[in-house]
Amino acid sequence: MTTAEARLLDEAARRRRARRDAARIWAKTAMLGVILFYCLFPFFWLIMTSLKLGDRALNSPNLFQGPFGLRNYQNVFEQDFGLNLRNSLAIAGMTTILCVLIGSLCAYAIARLPLKRKLLLLSAVLAVSLFPPVALVPPLYDLWRRLGLLNTWEGLYIPYTAFTLPLTIFILTTFFASIPKDLTEAATVDGATPFRAFYRIVLPLAAPGIFAAAIIIFVSAWNEFLLASTFAPRNPEVAQTVPVAIAAFTGAVEFQRPIGTITAACVVVTIPMIIVALAFQRRIVAGLTAGGVKG
Amino acid sequence: MADTTVAPEPDTRSNLDGDGRGGPRRFRNGLSEKSLARIFVTPAILLMALVALFPVIYAFIQSLYLYRRRTQIGFGGFDNYVEALTDDRFWGAIRFTFIFTVISVFFEFVIGMGFALLMNQAFRGRGVTRASILVPWVIPTVIAAQMWFFMFNVTPGFINEVFGLGDFNWLGQRGWATFAIIVADVWKTAPFVALLLLAGLQTIPNEVYESGKVDGAGMFSRFWFITFPLLRPAILVALLFRTVDALRVYDLPQVMTGGAFNTESLSILVQQYVVRTPNPGYGAALSTLTFVIVLGVGIIFVRLLGRDLVIGRGEAR
Amino acid sequence: MRMRTPWLAAAGAIALLAVAACTPGGDDGDDEGSGELVWAIGGAEAQPGGVHQSVVELWNQQNPDTPVRIEVLPDAADQQREQQALQLDAGESTFDILGMDVIWTGEYSENGWLESLEDVRAEIEAASLPGPFESATWGGTLWAAPYNTNAGFLYYRTDLVDTPPTTWDELCTTAADIAEQEGIGGFIGQGAQYEGFVVNWLEYYWGAGGELFNEDQTQVIFDVDLAVQATEFMAEAMDTCYAPGFNTAQEEEARNEFQSGNTVFMRNWPYVYSIINEDSGSPANGNFDIAPLPTFTGQGTISALGGFNLAVSAFSDNKEAAKEFVVWAATNPEPQAMLATEGSVPPTMASVYEDLASDPVMALLGQILPDAKPRPPSPSWNEISVEMQQALFPAVNGDADPRAAAEQVRAFLESTLE
Repeated sequence: MTTAEARLLDEAARRRRARRDAARIWAKTAMLGVILFYCLFPFFWLIMTSLKLGDRALNSPNLFQGPFGLRNYQNVFEQDFGLNLRNSLAIAGMTTILCVLIGSLCAYAIARLPLKRKLLLLSAVLAVSLFPPVALVPPLYDLWRRLGLLNTWEGLYIPYTAFTLPLTIFILTTFFASIPKDLTEAATVDGATPFRAFYRIVLPLAAPGIFAAAIIIFVSAWNEFLLASTFAPRNPEVAQTVPVAIAAFTGAVEFQRPIGTITAACVVVTIPMIIVALAFQRRIVAGLTAGGVKG
Repeated sequence: MADTTVAPEPDTRSNLDGDGRGGPRRFRNGLSEKSLARIFVTPAILLMALVALFPVIYAFIQSLYLYRRRTQIGFGGFDNYVEALTDDRFWGAIRFTFIFTVISVFFEFVIGMGFALLMNQAFRGRGVTRASILVPWVIPTVIAAQMWFFMFNVTPGFINEVFGLGDFNWLGQRGWATFAIIVADVWKTAPFVALLLLAGLQTIPNEVYESGKVDGAGMFSRFWFITFPLLRPAILVALLFRTVDALRVYDLPQVMTGGAFNTESLSILVQQYVVRTPNPGYGAALSTLTFVIVLGVGIIFVRLLGRDLVIGRGEAR
Repeated sequence: MRMRTPWLAAAGAIALLAVAACTPGGDDGDDEGSGELVWAIGGAEAQPGGVHQSVVELWNQQNPDTPVRIEVLPDAADQQREQQALQLDAGESTFDILGMDVIWTGEYSENGWLESLEDVRAEIEAASLPGPFESATWGGTLWAAPYNTNAGFLYYRTDLVDTPPTTWDELCTTAADIAEQEGIGGFIGQGAQYEGFVVNWLEYYWGAGGELFNEDQTQVIFDVDLAVQATEFMAEAMDTCYAPGFNTAQEEEARNEFQSGNTVFMRNWPYVYSIINEDSGSPANGNFDIAPLPTFTGQGTISALGGFNLAVSAFSDNKEAAKEFVVWAATNPEPQAMLATEGSVPPTMASVYEDLASDPVMALLGQILPDAKPRPPSPSWNEISVEMQQALFPAVNGDADPRAAAEQVRAFLESTLE
């Protein structure tokens, strides 16, 4: 595209833009509306259902059929749900920290340090996370039983870390690789050790990637069900996590599905998650202004 | 570092020490980059090998033995594999798994990219928008699956109610059952793609856009010629992990259809032989086959990624 | 550097978590040496306030030396089985008493997980109903004591139907007619692809006179023609009298349809009765009744049995006490009556039904349970059930040939005896 052509295009665009300013705002608002509806309608259903009382209200296709009340939430907290929240928070938190620590070191080595057979290494790292999870359970259960890791936090955050590390390493490798090399080189020329160059220059610049990885790790550890339900299936006082506790909810009688309690619990765990994700996600975007690439 | 201007392709002039032949550089503390690399890699490799390698080897050995329910009855070599590969159910599961993966990953990518571009913009109400976009993804999958079952199923029938479709049986017929599962998966995981791409967008320096604007490039061509190539690594990572996850989908079809109407995924099949009707040998063979298939697809992505990212452009290996 | 604060924060968080990362101490379920018996059972009645808890309280009052504690398993039967299997496969003594679905008997006994109850057989056989008793035996040995049972009812709308139909054909015609007049669905049951589908299908097949195995389970007597009849009936009913959503319905979906007034008939377990009676806003409230399930001939009734048996783990440290509890729960009228009066799970003791005949649910159960059949408690029941779902579900939905499906089931049943 020549500059002349581009300039012409630009002017035409400017004129059109002036005319359609109002229309654009409307279109944007409408688009936002559609997106919000798409993302939030099921969540809205969750909230409405969690507030409904009585079987028929809960199973009615009409979202606004009452009676409404907070009894489902009372039920949730009558069942030691606070302890489940504590366990999940600790396990997901530990997983996140371990993953980011170990993963960023490994990713930096792959992206920036001299290592042989990087592709093979990356493939091996990927392979780790690819076995069908349900097939991991019997051998790991056996091992965990021998090691005394059943019904402990360690028994969960260790495998979570191992199985989320590949994703962490891949995300962070791409980030470290995208940081201009002259920055680190300049630092090493100034006499900084490679390690110092890593944590003073590379890490801060990769903040968006680290925070994106952190949210993803945290959420996947928080929501994991399969391992949690086999390695710490019952006692909330020890290590039972939130999704496992939710799966253990029952109705008042045999067969009855406790949809009200489940949705209430789901709302309870989702709201803090949204707050965490929002806070982290702000850091992803904030990285743009805080980092060194800004002019 | 304030005035560093970054070239659009940060990697073009930086493939100096990618293959470790840059010669050992020593520093005051005596730690070379090479040994630092080894130290950095070791904890991750050790942990992953400890936790993840053992079950894979265990399963492979187990897959060579024949079982009658839980009891081992002898060595069978590759008999379990032959049995799996000649079973129509296995091929049916492969078919559904691949249809599901291709369609859902495609839409997750398109929608996720749209979300990421939206989240990356400054506009009024973006806080609310960003939070909303992330909501589907933080809901535990098991619960999201139950929720979508409720939405699609004839009883109580929320979707039919909202769209006035009467008693349309989404989950009770071929094709539409797959459709419903894909809709639920796209809804649930598009935000994951969005997050990764949003983070990737942050690595693109503003200057690149500014120069694009000065050149008079329109929004679309700016996206196509500037954003897209620079976002390539992030896109590949997002696609890679979505694909390998989708290939192992379990909760959604299990909860929504129980695998009925041609929606049995590979993982549902594996689960059956590991847990429901235990046959450790056959279950392990199915797991290993699934693993090989998923790894095969994964390695294609790794090669794409590796060629122009980790090692540096033009240095094929 | 701007990033210093987050770094300090991160370091602080790591330090905190490193301290906190040790699992808090607590009861991890291991009770060796305390003399306490652990009863692993799941479902609504195992929760605080449930009838299993009341049964335990009663036992603990009378037997303070060998108290029982319930270890609550998840709600879904599959997950209950998996959690028990993980413990038992490892030979752990964590559980002393096992709450087992009636279809697990053969599998558990084959794996050597159960203690035989042959020495108390006479006592248990005298007290229990024959169907539940049969479900607790495998290979001629008694492995468990019946605890609670369940049977399918035909629920129907009294404002729409005068007398309940006695044959499946009559039911289907009536349902289709009324459904068309009222603009609602005809009949709903458990038609989704899961264990409940097999239960429903068997009720048609048994109702046509079919059987799976001979009495001592050594020979397949599966009748392909009768199986085709049952399957074809269901396949046709899909188009005529089954309510929309039949083929995705489990217990709760079926109840929801009937309770919302959307169907004329429903096949379901007894638990629905009291729920609808308590829901004054339901169109079915006050307008429904229960009847035995129809058959194809109009003679008698048939139902598949549900419920749980109690077994003693082969790895228990206190088998004698566990056995005493199991026998007590099966043969003592007090806990058995509690199941009927306080809980939602019908008891297995024949005499309780005579005592509680004034209750309509108990009266009907007392009438149909003697004819109710357990699914064969074979070690391969899980495999059989999966195969039946794989073969028959597509046939019922018009995606496969009923005869080929029936042949497939027969062949599989034969392969399990080899």
